[in-house]
Amino acid sequence: MGVRRKMALRFDLIIFTILLFASPVLSDLILSKVDRRIDLTSQIVRITSTLKVENEGSEPVSEVLLAFPDLQVKDLALLKASPHEGKGKVKSLSASLPVENVKPNGMPAALTFYAVKLPKALGKGDSYTFDVLAVFAHALRPFPEKITQADIQLVVFQESAFYLTPYVVKVQSLSVKLPESRIESYTKLENTKIHGSEIKYGPYENLPSFSYSPIVVHFESNQPFAVGQEVVREIEISHWGNVQVTEHYKLVHGGAQNKGEFSRLDYQARPTIRGASAFKYLIAKMPPRVHSVYYRDEIGNISTSNLWGDSKKTELLIEPRYPLFGGWRTAFTIGYGLPLKDFLFELEGNRFLNITFGSPMNELVIDNLIVKVVLPEGSGDISVSAPFPVNQWEETKLSHLDLTGRPVVVLQKTNVVPEHNQFFQVYYKFSKLSMLREPFMLIFGFFSLFVAGIVYMHVDMSISKSSAAYLARLQWDEVQAAIQQVENVINRCLTTHDKLEASLRDLSRTGDVQACKAARKAADGLLKELSKELKLVLSFLQSSSAASQILPKVEELVAKEKDLQEKVMAKHSTVVDCYEKKTGIRDSENRVAAQQQKITALRQEVENLLELIDEI
Amino acid sequence: MAPKPITSPVPDAWYPTLSVFMLAIGLFVTASFFIYEATSSRQNRSLGKELITGAVASVFLGFGSLFLLLASGVYV
Repeated sequence: MGVRRKMALRFDLIIFTILLFASPVLSDLILSKVDRRIDLTSQIVRITSTLKVENEGSEPVSEVLLAFPDLQVKDLALLKASPHEGKGKVKSLSASLPVENVKPNGMPAALTFYAVKLPKALGKGDSYTFDVLAVFAHALRPFPEKITQADIQLVVFQESAFYLTPYVVKVQSLSVKLPESRIESYTKLENTKIHGSEIKYGPYENLPSFSYSPIVVHFESNQPFAVGQEVVREIEISHWGNVQVTEHYKLVHGGAQNKGEFSRLDYQARPTIRGASAFKYLIAKMPPRVHSVYYRDEIGNISTSNLWGDSKKTELLIEPRYPLFGGWRTAFTIGYGLPLKDFLFELEGNRFLNITFGSPMNELVIDNLIVKVVLPEGSGDISVSAPFPVNQWEETKLSHLDLTGRPVVVLQKTNVVPEHNQFFQVYYKFSKLSMLREPFMLIFGFFSLFVAGIVYMHVDMSISKSSAAYLARLQWDEVQAAIQQVENVINRCLTTHDKLEASLRDLSRTGDVQACKAARKAADGLLKELSKELKLVLSFLQSSSAASQILPKVEELVAKEKDLQEKVMAKHSTVVDCYEKKTGIRDSENRVAAQQQKITALRQEVENLLELIDEI
Repeated sequence: MAPKPITSPVPDAWYPTLSVFMLAIGLFVTASFFIYEATSSRQNRSLGKELITGAVASVFLGFGSLFLLLASGVYV
């Protein structure tokens, strides 16, 4: 057990320096009761201390110092103090006490101090109880450092049995909770008891300041030692209704290194014995109403995953492509979409995103976490409010339908534990009109296609402007235009005829001769105009040489139309006459029927001709 | 004043329907645009009518393709 001896030596040195520089108590505070619970059930070490401070001096005191050896401080991921609310009560996150790093004078150099600000100063004889939660990542050291596939994983944890503090401690106790009852060894002091997987030290009474007594616990831990060497979370906001989260993981098994060969057969046959130290899967606890979840790596989709959820949470179980043994690595990406309304809010003209900082993975230690918040293009006035200090800088990212790039807020933090999974806020200003950027870009794109089409149709791109073929085409274009005009005029004539027919029907229904006559008058005027127009076009067609082929048809059409027009007029006059004189309705009906027959035939012919010309 | 949740201007569930209808209308207008281009002769083609038809078609196609992107999970 050379390692333990070495550790003991190191701690002796610390104590030596402590004793060398220690000055007597700096204030008149005493700790009347200290109760510490160390949770070693996972790879993350959580030390919860309940401290009862009492002021025995006359000066009011509002700060309590906490001391940690420098060796521990480098693993310290989180330190939080909160008022003690007794057991069984729900702790409110907001009611934490401010903690800050301080360097008081005359204190041992090998210690780092933190000051907890009490909510109100303690007068003489007053006491106050509060909890301190200290979370350490990488505080468990595997020993032995290399094991084979069949070995179990043993880890070592070191602490002091006495609470290291600059104050006098009246009563204190310590309990260490282990994952399994199999303990290789532990330091035995007086008053040491063991209950299953829990070791209890104390109570110890009336200890001077800076008391220190190292303990070392060596025990079995087959918990997943999942360490994210680098995790990049990208949170992309779309105001069209989605918050897209993409997380890139670079995982390593941070426990005892695997040595020797790996036998998949042994592992598959008896995974609990031949691979006790490996971990096979990870569970991510994601928010409710998550959608479009994927899990992939560079090769492609990884199908070994499972998703289930209810109204409060969603759980994703992912299995890497292979079980992870000590020192093995894997890299993968998970992504999911979240509904916008759960995470994005508006307050006094500002918009803000309210989302958790850490990774959703259970019991994952992250050495370097980078959170990127990608805001929509056009947002400004960006500010971040995080519950703990983070490094922060800004970038831009070009994505779908972007012109200038989206502003990205990057937050970086080292040593992240699940306790850092707290909500943080990114505030920004965004005008609703900026949302129309994307559709307008698409509209502009399509419109430029149409404009290109129009330009192509309008621009004359022939090289030789004097060639016969070109001139012929120009002429033919003119003829075509004239024929279209003819068609147009004829069609208008036909509609006028229809109107006259309609007026006749009205007449038979209402007997209003005057209205019918007025309609006739209007039609006459219109037809006269049209015939003038027709004459013009016709004379052009007659003069044009290119139209010689089609001209007979057009002339026939015009003649037929004229004929039709006369017949319609005649019919109209007959019917109106009958109504005016109120004579021989039966007689007139016969005449009208004959006229009607001719009109129908002519109309059919005109329409046929129109179609024929249209086809040419 | 309590923070107010922000929602999308159009409920997400409408995206597929909206995209189908707007693209259908857009393609219909596009078709009429090209029919007009191909059938009308150079002399009596009116630029205004062409531009208006093109603009209407591109508005429908633009919004239709935006909703198509959104419905297929590409949140722009």
